[in-house]
Amino acid sequence: MATTQRVRVTSGLGERAMGRIFLAPSFAFMALIALFPVFYAIVISLYDIRGFSQEFIGADNYVRVITDSGFLDAVWNTLVFTVASVSLEFLIGMAFALIMHQVFIGRGLTRAVILIPWVIPTAVAAQVWRYMFDRNPGFVNSVLGTDINWLRDPTWAMVGIISADVWKTAPFVALLLLAGLQTIPKDYYEAAKVDGANALQRFWTITLPLLRPAIVVALLFRTVDALRMFDFAYVFTGYSNSLATLSVYAQRYLVRDPDLGYANALSTVTFVIVMVVGLLFISRMGRHMVGDVARKEK
Amino acid sequence: MPVLSRPKGYAVRACAAGLAALGLTLATACGQPPGEETSGEGGEPAGIADDPQFVWAVTGADRAIHEEVARLWNENNPDKQVEVFFLAPTADEQRQAMFQDLQNQAGEFDVLGLDVIWTGEFAEFGYVESLEDLRGEVEGVSLEGSLDSAQWQQELYALPYSSNGAFLYYRTDLVEEPPSTWDELYETGMAAAEEEGISAYVGQGDQYEGFVVNYLELFWSADGQLFDDAQEQSTFLEGDAATTALDFMTEAYDSGFYADGFDSMVEDDARALFQAGEAVYMRNWPYAVPLLAGEGDEESAVADEFAVAPMPTFGGEGTTSALGGLNNAVSTLSENKELAREFVAWAATDPGAQDILAQHSLPPTMLSAYENAEDPNFEMLGEILSQAHARPPVPGYNSLSLAIQDNLHPAFRGQGEAGPALEAVDQAADDALEQE
Repeated sequence: MATTQRVRVTSGLGERAMGRIFLAPSFAFMALIALFPVFYAIVISLYDIRGFSQEFIGADNYVRVITDSGFLDAVWNTLVFTVASVSLEFLIGMAFALIMHQVFIGRGLTRAVILIPWVIPTAVAAQVWRYMFDRNPGFVNSVLGTDINWLRDPTWAMVGIISADVWKTAPFVALLLLAGLQTIPKDYYEAAKVDGANALQRFWTITLPLLRPAIVVALLFRTVDALRMFDFAYVFTGYSNSLATLSVYAQRYLVRDPDLGYANALSTVTFVIVMVVGLLFISRMGRHMVGDVARKEK
Repeated sequence: MPVLSRPKGYAVRACAAGLAALGLTLATACGQPPGEETSGEGGEPAGIADDPQFVWAVTGADRAIHEEVARLWNENNPDKQVEVFFLAPTADEQRQAMFQDLQNQAGEFDVLGLDVIWTGEFAEFGYVESLEDLRGEVEGVSLEGSLDSAQWQQELYALPYSSNGAFLYYRTDLVEEPPSTWDELYETGMAAAEEEGISAYVGQGDQYEGFVVNYLELFWSADGQLFDDAQEQSTFLEGDAATTALDFMTEAYDSGFYADGFDSMVEDDARALFQAGEAVYMRNWPYAVPLLAGEGDEESAVADEFAVAPMPTFGGEGTTSALGGLNNAVSTLSENKELAREFVAWAATDPGAQDILAQHSLPPTMLSAYENAEDPNFEMLGEILSQAHARPPVPGYNSLSLAIQDNLHPAFRGQGEAGPALEAVDQAADDALEQE
């Protein structure tokens, strides 16, 4: 006690202040890397840029965003995709996690197999899925015995994109949930068994509540990711308006039909949407939980 | 006071393009588009000059051919050597790379190999020099369609270099005479397909530039014109060509004349089906000929049973093909404009250079290259190209192309009304002229 006091006096600065000073350089660096581009994108989104000419047009790009039916389609497509894929990934991921959590012979192998889809680069997986859905040679159709235009019928294409994404990312959700499951002490289950609780009751009253932090983190990660989804939509249907997601739509004006100001306005709006959804999640689970669980997942 | 004022702001502008990309990266952090993965390392100098004076940026597709052309120039002009900078093989990425070079004021490229549809855009953006004073060198020497594609508002901004046109591939064992009208094509195709249990027709029906080309070929062959002669307004809906073309596609799609999966088919999908003997007719570029013939180690079920013909028209007269290829332009940022202009003119008019293209079955743009052709297919190609249409190189061509894809692709698949879809394209065509 006495020692610390003496140190404080001689240094002239509190521990907290010292901490801040030491953190300042890395914070400044982070700000430069992370915040500067965001603000700069916002600045550019206020200009009309065509070739070497650029003109300040204020919020015109944003007015255009709001009235652009292509953008509204993209918002709708993204929402449909996000809600459907995240719910399915959560349900399937939960099932995977419960299976992987059991002690049985071949558990290691099962875990490895379940995780394979997640390890494959998304762009590669998307190409493979596209090929399987394609009418020629028609793998999916012949397996299902159907005659569906998976790539160009808007409804079925969305089903295809969602299935591919669920296949790809359910293992990731499973991994997060499995880590959560492993933190629940066995004693609780034993005590519940002694009290006569059946498997469903144990799951409902012990597993779910104690798994809540992991569930929230998994849903946060997946929702934010799904809102930015690019690969599957782009590979399956290109810039097609009927299936473009927010990211595909922004890419269209960045590369295919270049209009830098508008592309940046679209990116900014996408960023805001993702940010708002992310903040909603975070505000619901509190700071402690994020840090705590996120560390365990690493 | 604009933050990005012109004279000093080039570093700022340099960030602009990069940051737009970064902004998008933030939005798509977990996945890069498949094309973008290579854009970083895709471009590279070929290293063929020991004392390069200027740089030619050109597609990485057909690399060996462009390299040989550049070597020929270097041999003849040891004091004015050119270095070739190979861009990515896909059109979008090439354009993006050139945009970045120009927008960031980097100015590393002196000569730009432009796709035939980019002329208006690059000209309006102030990216390329006017080459109007070189018109005399190429007029009557190069293909007319290629010249059309190299000018915007009657001013020449690039000179022709390479070209491309469509063949109708047909099965000689199933079709006696290649058809001269679309109706004939439709009927013979359906009959033969039914008999053989294969598909009648494969082509480029996916929602991309290839679809636009396939549609426009129908449109032009029904005597349609996208713009009036002065390129001041859209004439898309004048006459009934737009409807005729769309009706044909809708009918062909509904009745199964188009093969299953036509609506997601690109060049090589079509080629693979035809090569496996699964189709009676195919619309494709000349690149498929050696593959179908089974040259090299290529396996082909139709090696001795196919031939090529010009594409049909609705009236039975002549043929119509969209014109592909590259034109060379001079960058406004070039520090060696004189040299660059000299090279561009040479690539367009030197028989040796153009002959290199011909030898590698990349269609040249010089008329004389087709005159003494020994290969009958090559002679036919010359004939096709002389009648080919340039897609209008208006500044907003990309928006127009996307509008055709967005509206007509669902329409031919039977989703939504044809009328409003065609009107939307007409509107987009008008807008494409005005994009500043």
